[in-house]
Amino acid sequence: MDRPLVSIVTICWNRKEDIRESLKNIRKIDYGNLEVIVVDNNSTDGTVEMIKKEYPEVKLIQMYNNIGIEAYNIGFKNASGEYIVILDDDSFPAPDAIGKMVERFQENEKLGLVAFDVRNFYNYDEVKKIAQDALTDQNEKTNVAESDQYLMAFNGAGAGVRRKLLEEVGYYPEEFFLYWNEQDTAFRILNKGYQINFFSDIISYHKYSPKNRKSWRAPYYYTRNAFWLIWKNYPLDMVIRLTIELIYNCFYSSLEQKTFIYIKAMFSAFKNISKLKGKRSPVSRDLAKNLRIPFNVSFSFYR
Amino acid sequence: MKELLIIRSVSFQQLDKNIVAIKEEFKDYNINLLTHEHGVKLAEKYKWIKNIYTYPYKDSFKYRNKVNELKDKRFEIVIIPVTNITGAGFLNVLNYSLSIKARKRIICNVVSELKEVNIPQILFMNMKSILISVVSLICTFISSLIIGLFLPIFLFFIKKEDIN
Repeated sequence: MDRPLVSIVTICWNRKEDIRESLKNIRKIDYGNLEVIVVDNNSTDGTVEMIKKEYPEVKLIQMYNNIGIEAYNIGFKNASGEYIVILDDDSFPAPDAIGKMVERFQENEKLGLVAFDVRNFYNYDEVKKIAQDALTDQNEKTNVAESDQYLMAFNGAGAGVRRKLLEEVGYYPEEFFLYWNEQDTAFRILNKGYQINFFSDIISYHKYSPKNRKSWRAPYYYTRNAFWLIWKNYPLDMVIRLTIELIYNCFYSSLEQKTFIYIKAMFSAFKNISKLKGKRSPVSRDLAKNLRIPFNVSFSFYR
Repeated sequence: MKELLIIRSVSFQQLDKNIVAIKEEFKDYNINLLTHEHGVKLAEKYKWIKNIYTYPYKDSFKYRNKVNELKDKRFEIVIIPVTNITGAGFLNVLNYSLSIKARKRIICNVVSELKEVNIPQILFMNMKSILISVVSLICTFISSLIIGLFLPIFLFFIKKEDIN
């Protein structure tokens, strides 16, 4: 039987060596029917030229400025596979991951998104217990990493989704620019009655930064988008409570870490609320309560 | 062999890196891991882990959330991985570690540097935290008075139109 087409979608911006290595590893995937789409966010380091020269099979789409995660949406619109695999520019799936992902989708029609086990590119093979092949013989259920008490979102450095479902629920929230976009998408997939499952035998390797990047970007966008995630998706009473908790955490973390970045992000969330116009669509109360969103992550990157 | 417990307070991507440094530093220790329920399957893949304990709560680590499995256990060292250099933002996990019987508590930061934190230091951090909390509560109260008036209007303004 012919295997369904799978579209790999990734974006990049001035990380030539990372995307080169990812594309090199994508070539090692043992799944025959693949389409690879790279959306470049106006790189100036020769990324585009490198991809054109070394990876002519890649469908390259060039943006004329850095539009952040909106570039994924351009990639999604151009994908023609039955399933889409979402990657970062510095991540790639294990050779057998996509074949396994397709099997899981075919076994369970209510499975909307397969969350890969995203591991550290530099260290995972050294610390793992058994060869990956040994896991393939186990049945699906034993490889699902889940909780009986709560639901999980997914990591954008490795996830597979049904293309039609993604079109139906909407692509990534472009107004977020960076971070928490996976959680926003997870709300909409789960609210449609589909499942998101983590599979421990479906691996994605990610070049997790070995250095602490003292940058404003992560704390700023994580914090601002946490407000927006709440305002877009939670029922009113939960919005009020979670917003107040978040405001408290912004003040607390600003004082504790001696920075204004969280307060700046909070003001930006309120000031730019018009970007959410027409986008608030509260999910069911059960889902709002059960999806595990660790908002305190926003306050743990600064130093 | 002496027993060591890692509280999984960071992603597996980071722990993959940290655990190499921890194993190198504490060669003669049995490594145990405490993780939320969804992390158990993913933690089972480590070759160096002796026991995996489940933190049976949806919440982040909190002192009041006790793990029955750990009630009678005693560890030489508890390790708290953090996603930054200083450990800022991880006081809740340090406080949680006080609910576990251990001789030493060690922070393992994002670049795998290990730094011991003793109980008086954690208590001092808590005192500082109380002061910051008071100021933050006052600021939050004042902000909430204003925001409480406008937030419902904002939410109405951004509501998706019902197509039906």
